[in-house]
Amino acid sequence: MNGVHDLGGMHGFGPINPEPNEPVFHHEWERRVFGVMMAAFGGGHYNVDQFRHAIERMGATEYLSESYYEHWLASMETLLVENGAIGKDELAARQAKLAGKAG
Amino acid sequence: MTTQSHTAPPSDPELRIKALESLLVEKKLIDPEAVDAIIETYETKIGPRNGAKIVARAWVDPEYKKRLLADGTKAIAELGFSGAQGEDMVVVENTDEVHNVVVCTLCSCYPWPTLGLPPVWYKAAPYRARVVMDPRGVLLEFGTRISDDVEVRVWDSNAELRYLVLPQRPAGTEGCTEEQLADLVSRDAMIGTAAVAPPAGAKP
Amino acid sequence: MPVITKDLVPVLVNTGGSTRVDKAVAPRFRVGDHVLVRNINPAHHTRLPRYARGKRGIVEIDHGVFVFPDTSAQHQGEKPQHVYSVRFTARELWGPGAAERDTLRLDLWDDYLDLVV
Repeated sequence: MNGVHDLGGMHGFGPINPEPNEPVFHHEWERRVFGVMMAAFGGGHYNVDQFRHAIERMGATEYLSESYYEHWLASMETLLVENGAIGKDELAARQAKLAGKAG
Repeated sequence: MTTQSHTAPPSDPELRIKALESLLVEKKLIDPEAVDAIIETYETKIGPRNGAKIVARAWVDPEYKKRLLADGTKAIAELGFSGAQGEDMVVVENTDEVHNVVVCTLCSCYPWPTLGLPPVWYKAAPYRARVVMDPRGVLLEFGTRISDDVEVRVWDSNAELRYLVLPQRPAGTEGCTEEQLADLVSRDAMIGTAAVAPPAGAKP
Repeated sequence: MPVITKDLVPVLVNTGGSTRVDKAVAPRFRVGDHVLVRNINPAHHTRLPRYARGKRGIVEIDHGVFVFPDTSAQHQGEKPQHVYSVRFTARELWGPGAAERDTLRLDLWDDYLDLVV
């Protein structure tokens, strides 16, 4: 699809700004996203092409403004619901429950 | 909070992954101990030191280097590195005529078994957008200047082949052991955004 | 579906999942062929970046037979076919302002290419 992920040759993104000695993960939640993604992939819940396509479908402004592992998170939320592993309402309810505890 | 019918998901990624992981574990679709083991493996056990060993071996052993350039997957596996996101490897050699640099413009494809997980800059829009169109400008941003009589060759990893740059061996390393050579090889040199600097105190 | 348990993690990590397909599929191109990248604009998943569409290149390597992502992403099967490393000059992709010597390589499936005769 002609999405914003297809970045080759675009202008306007500014300097590359490599972070010196950056850690593999910047937050605990990033670790969990990585580990869960790989475990679900190994379990056959999606293939790599489906995974990438679900990232491409996450919405242009979201794609550009969210961080890398938020892309992975969006993809898993989409695919695991589409493939029937979890229910959409079930996920929303769990998020709400956890938000209630945190609030 | 009780029932909510709205539904923009909460934007907090920490909350979202907790929700997702807890449901998958309860449904026995993933094993939490496996998740922990996966994290530990990629955070602590796999990294660019693997690729540096490959490079050092190629520098000291011309027959290994020939095998590496002919069949990257097989030669890399000789040193024990293989697997996820490195199942089909191609090694590309920097020479006096050609400087190679690798990107994945469409996402973040990167040779995990030899380099570990990619840095943020490699996966982000600025590098992915610019390096295919202005590789010399990008390399300058990394402090690497390529002369006009050298070809800059950009490899966009858009399929499942994964690319590793074999950088040139710097001058002044004739007396180095293979392990000392591996110490010189940075991750960025194997992506192609840097060259390998000579050891401190080496004669030019 | 299998659940990856802790003892299976090394297998997952060290074996991975190659998308190479062990099938004798005939290639449409040979090394040295001049090819024109198709100007396709699918709304579905593709690994053909926009910057290469309609551009001319030369086949440098035949990587062998792989799963085709355009169908695989849509649950439409593997449609295994050859993937080639195709060389483009920087000027072909970006115009006369690009460095004269520079080149770019993309890995392109049979279905992305046509022969330039």
